Amino acid sequence: MQALHGREGNVEKIKENPIVKKLGFNRIILFCVLILMYVVFSLLVPGFAGMARIMSVLNYVYFLGFLSLGVTFVIATGGIDFSIGPVMFCCALISGYSMMTLGMPTILALILSIVIGLLFGLFNGYLVSYWSVPPFIVSMASMNIAKGVAAVFTKTQSVSWPLKDDIEHGGWFRNLVSANGFPVGLIIFLAAAVVCMILLNNTKPGRYILCLGSNREAVRLSGVNTKKWEMLAYTICGILVGIAAIFFVGAYTTVQPGYGDQYNNEAIAGCVMGGTSMVGGLASIGGTILGVFIISLLQEGILALGFAKDIQLIVTGIIVIVVVYADVMARRRKN
Amino acid sequence: MGECILKMEDIDKSFPGVHALDHVHFDVNKGEVHALMGENGAGKSTLMKVLTGIYTKDSGSINFEGREVEFHNTREAQDAGIVIVHQELNMVGDLTVAQNIFIGREFMKGFKIDDKKMIEESNRLFAELKIEIDPKAKMKDLTVGKQQMCEIAKAISHDAKLIIFDEPSAALTEKEIEDLFVIIRDLRAKNLGIVYISHRMDEIKVITDRVTVMRDGGYVGTLITKDCTKEDIINMMVGRVIYEEPKTKSQVAPDAPVVLKVEHLNAGRMVKDVSFELRKGEILGFSGLMGAGRTETARALFGADPKTSGDIYVNGEKVTINSPQDAVKYGIGYLSEDRKRYGIVVQKSITENSTLAALENYMSGIFINKSAEKKVTNQYIKELATKTPNADQLVVNLSGGNQQKVVIAKWLVRNCDILIFDEPTRGIDVGAKNEIYKLMNRLAAEGKSIIMISSEMTEILRMSDRIVIMCEGEKTGEIDIAEATQELIMDKATRNIE
Repeated sequence: MQALHGREGNVEKIKENPIVKKLGFNRIILFCVLILMYVVFSLLVPGFAGMARIMSVLNYVYFLGFLSLGVTFVIATGGIDFSIGPVMFCCALISGYSMMTLGMPTILALILSIVIGLLFGLFNGYLVSYWSVPPFIVSMASMNIAKGVAAVFTKTQSVSWPLKDDIEHGGWFRNLVSANGFPVGLIIFLAAAVVCMILLNNTKPGRYILCLGSNREAVRLSGVNTKKWEMLAYTICGILVGIAAIFFVGAYTTVQPGYGDQYNNEAIAGCVMGGTSMVGGLASIGGTILGVFIISLLQEGILALGFAKDIQLIVTGIIVIVVVYADVMARRRKN
Repeated sequence: MGECILKMEDIDKSFPGVHALDHVHFDVNKGEVHALMGENGAGKSTLMKVLTGIYTKDSGSINFEGREVEFHNTREAQDAGIVIVHQELNMVGDLTVAQNIFIGREFMKGFKIDDKKMIEESNRLFAELKIEIDPKAKMKDLTVGKQQMCEIAKAISHDAKLIIFDEPSAALTEKEIEDLFVIIRDLRAKNLGIVYISHRMDEIKVITDRVTVMRDGGYVGTLITKDCTKEDIINMMVGRVIYEEPKTKSQVAPDAPVVLKVEHLNAGRMVKDVSFELRKGEILGFSGLMGAGRTETARALFGADPKTSGDIYVNGEKVTINSPQDAVKYGIGYLSEDRKRYGIVVQKSITENSTLAALENYMSGIFINKSAEKKVTNQYIKELATKTPNADQLVVNLSGGNQQKVVIAKWLVRNCDILIFDEPTRGIDVGAKNEIYKLMNRLAAEGKSIIMISSEMTEILRMSDRIVIMCEGEKTGEIDIAEATQELIMDKATRNIE
């Protein structure tokens, strides 16, 4: 008992260090985990440390990163969104089909993808805030709607986006992901993360979203229109999901109707791992970024170790439970 | 007097920012009614929560029936024979009386719940207590008094050896209180230990054998009831604190304008045709029993709950208030009795809480101007003498009194002229209590107008310029402070109840 007490005291001391305080104790640990994972995978898998592998991990980071950023806003309100993966696929399918089969210019197709994401966000947000339907139910329903709409639109055919040298169909958009081996996508993702960080910490919407996630009634009784700001959180999420779709097809080309669910868990795991609390009120964009890198590296690592894709699902599932459990325990200890 | 059934010794408990219990002693004998007294925030409830396992004590020992015990939840305490009859009743309104009494330990017949047996058992319990309640009635259809009787029946059915009554009379009429006392005497005769928590001095003299007084989380002393006077108890409760002088006449200028006028307000079942006026610089007290509809009136007026009908005038102009947003726009601020749920965002900083209602004044472009925010927060920390290391402190780490100051700051930052204080000193320790009183008097003197809902008679008489009394959702009286007495207020507060 005494020894345990002493150890906790040391942790407190480390946490008070100004540099640690600035970066966040949690985030420093996550960063160490990330490096450690990279080292372990490099030791276990010959050739893992190469540049090709890093680019492959980054491809995963881009789309998952945007999903995770989006869902961070929703979880900050104390809500949840299980539709992000399928909505991302819906965006990619409808805009891809419009471009490849209906002849829509690429730039419009990209905008269409974002607009579809936005519409789903508005839909989810409106039902959650103005109709008070539980977020769990709303997002489960819109997940099915997204899958159904995409399948109807594409006549249940998979859609392949143009390759880079397919200039006729506008393959130029792939330069957004990587141009001559330079990871443009990483720059765009990090820029988006900075915008989200400012939005969450330095603007009125961010302040209200975090406060209402912590105590909705108190914020409402302070004369704040909580419904409006809650809906906005889902809408921001929708926009980011629409952008995620662009990076998904930018990296993986082909999308099939009826899928996308697995990315829900991965995005939520990345976000909660980063220190965003499932009960709302606390969110960290920096943490979300690190969480996304960890999840992406893990997915790549599992495949590189020679396991099947199913193992990825099992591992991610377990991670979600462990991470959320840790969040619950941390909260209980504080109280 | 019987042997000792409960002995709590040297109980110590701290929360962040508060030393809630400071080495407290408390003991109860078999066949004794032992009063636990103290002002709001003295630590009575905390002590009982430590006893029944809701909180874990930091140190000290609890001896129950000769054994050292430490309960981890109320279930364990119940199983040992310690039961609380709560002030706020823990009943499921849509279940029947019998179902409520046996909730969590239903009689079973195979896989089916045996409702018939539960009804029989309930009837037997009621017979034992000599009360008449239909076990098949829905709980929500009973009066508060009857609901309380059901709580007691439930307690006895647990085979209780020690029953704690937590302000049982707060919502009862004179007649119901008499019925309650008959039951309590009966239980005492059966050699049970009884803890009786109450603010009402008269009851203490009538029903209890001994009195233990707490103050500021500390143990003050224990007296034999029949050997002491009311004044002895009051002196022990109040101690060194010198309170604001009670008002003997209204401090409001005779020509002060009416800032808020409410006419024929109706909302839900709890607010029936309420009309009143509030004048500039006035503290208007709202008195009544628990459940009289005072909080409901305030919430309807503030737009927190929907209203059925009624007109509201602010500074002579008719206004429409359908949401807190509207109310705040007209300069009305509401300070809830339940600060943690409705007043503050506990996991956020003092700064974030202080500017919550007025954030638009602290923006530069689309960005929050954090230095301006901090400046105004620091200004109010100084002005209200909020005890905190700095403005970044999370509100969860502050004591009740300081949390209340943060809520006051929130409305002052928003520049609200009409403030509704709902139980302003609930959960606030004695020292800080007078600070809140001083603050309220100062605000009134500076021209703010205050509605103060309070269940503490002393608080009503000490602070109000004028008193509105409510009973069962209706306004039953309005008295100037010069004419107000405790008896007059109680009479009006129970007028509608037979």
